[in-house]
Amino acid sequence: MDGKTALLDIDHMTIAFGGLKAVNDVSIQINKSEFVGLIGPNGAGKTTFFNSITGNVSPTGGGIVFDGHNLTKKRPDQISRLGISRTFQNIRIFPKMSVLDNVTIPMHSEPAYSMWAAMLGLSKVTRQQKETEKRALEFLSDLGLEAYKDREAGTLAYGLQRRLEIARALAASPKLLLLDEPAAGMNNDECNELAELLRRIYKNYDLTVILIEHHIEFVLKLCDRIYVLNLGQLLAEGTPEEIQSDPEVVRAYLGSRRTKQ
Amino acid sequence: MLYIFSIIVFVCVHGIAVSGLSLLTGYTGIFSIGHAGFMAVGGYAAVVLYKNLGVPFLLAVVLGGFIAVIVSVILGYPALRNKLEGDAFGIVMLGFVTVVRVAISNIKPVLGGAIGITGIPRLSSVWLVILITVIMVYCMRNFIKSDYGKNCMAVQQQESAAEMVGVNPLRTKLRALMISAFYGGVAGGLFVFYATFISPMSFAEAKSNDLLAAVVLGGMCSLSGPLMAAGILVILPEILRFLAVWRLVFYGLAFILIMLFRPDGLFGYREISFKWVGRLYHKIKAGIGERQKRTGRG
Repeated sequence: MDGKTALLDIDHMTIAFGGLKAVNDVSIQINKSEFVGLIGPNGAGKTTFFNSITGNVSPTGGGIVFDGHNLTKKRPDQISRLGISRTFQNIRIFPKMSVLDNVTIPMHSEPAYSMWAAMLGLSKVTRQQKETEKRALEFLSDLGLEAYKDREAGTLAYGLQRRLEIARALAASPKLLLLDEPAAGMNNDECNELAELLRRIYKNYDLTVILIEHHIEFVLKLCDRIYVLNLGQLLAEGTPEEIQSDPEVVRAYLGSRRTKQ
Repeated sequence: MLYIFSIIVFVCVHGIAVSGLSLLTGYTGIFSIGHAGFMAVGGYAAVVLYKNLGVPFLLAVVLGGFIAVIVSVILGYPALRNKLEGDAFGIVMLGFVTVVRVAISNIKPVLGGAIGITGIPRLSSVWLVILITVIMVYCMRNFIKSDYGKNCMAVQQQESAAEMVGVNPLRTKLRALMISAFYGGVAGGLFVFYATFISPMSFAEAKSNDLLAAVVLGGMCSLSGPLMAAGILVILPEILRFLAVWRLVFYGLAFILIMLFRPDGLFGYREISFKWVGRLYHKIKAGIGERQKRTGRG
């Protein structure tokens, strides 16, 4: 966008599964501290798009550059450590671990001590663990999960599991946060609450966010800029106002009822 | 007495191998139907090092462990890098233990072919074996409780998410495989220097099943559970010896019942805790104090 170097620069990316082009020649630039929405009908390639950024799917054409690093040849764990974190459409917490342990994992994905030290149970191991637990508690209290810290994560209510996933994503100290349908299955009140939460963490943690969501009000309320994908192709791009009045978007996704408003 | 001692040694040796397998299968979620292959490699390596190259006994056992580690890398790196997991990796290990057995059976010069090697001096004493077992289990407990162990659990429970928060699944799995191979190798070495002989059948498929059974029965994500199960699996056949062939039926029945009523194993996701002893003690003490007060008043 306007000549600045973008935080995330996706250049003519294509992802083909055999003959099916899930993402077709899409170029997107996202600047630091933007809150960007990604909408589109089911099967438009939104999640595939995320998967390519996080390194789960490698693009068949084009490039992805994040913060000066070329991501196309990198593994997911390397990409995570460069500062990209995500939540999943279908919740993927560590179900049998405690809520606290769920949040400490990203902090010690590469432990600061050797495995020999771990085996001998040296004092620096426990010291390090106390340290990470203290930091994890901060994330938990920030997301209102402190009371559940010792609960088995899989036994939490659905909404809390979603929050836990966000807490875990934040614990990886990301620069860019990818949210894949965080409001799925939530009612209006819960949506509003989540929107408040996302706005708060976006400010407090100085994040850049890409949000995939079907609750259109939710996206319009939160995002500075919205991309619309349809059948793997970029249909439109613009501010919430521009998107709402774009006739092509309305036809493909929003439905004509909205034009009467 | 010798009989009791030999059972203790068997329990300890199984305990070492099972604690290694518990890290690999119970915590990291990689099934290994051929873990006895590492015991065979470690056992044979230790004997050859001792007999043919004159390496001192304990050093030979430890080196046997490291040779098992090298074999595990040769085997595990290509398999795990290509994302073989679950049953597929289990089959790789089944193939491995079979290959080891058949290969050893056909190498006559140093390894003695199908007859194996006899006349090995009994150098592992009961106390030494117990000491080594305690040390190795203690190290495993520390490892599992550390961040390394937590990363293993994360990979087991939700690999894609673990990867997405920076855990390298290949490295985590390979590390678990290497450590468990080391434990298997050392267990094999210690056993051989107690049994005084080794043959291709010492550590074949049946032994692998015993090890895996201990981990599955004892419980996933638990160390004390599998250790206890290992003990039971060694001692139970001895106790049931009078039942002759029928003991296998009881054995099988016990398996079915446990899998039916406790699919996560006896101690799945928990450890055997002795905290209740402390609680009971305090309760009794409080009870006695109460009574004393009452009688004092009366």
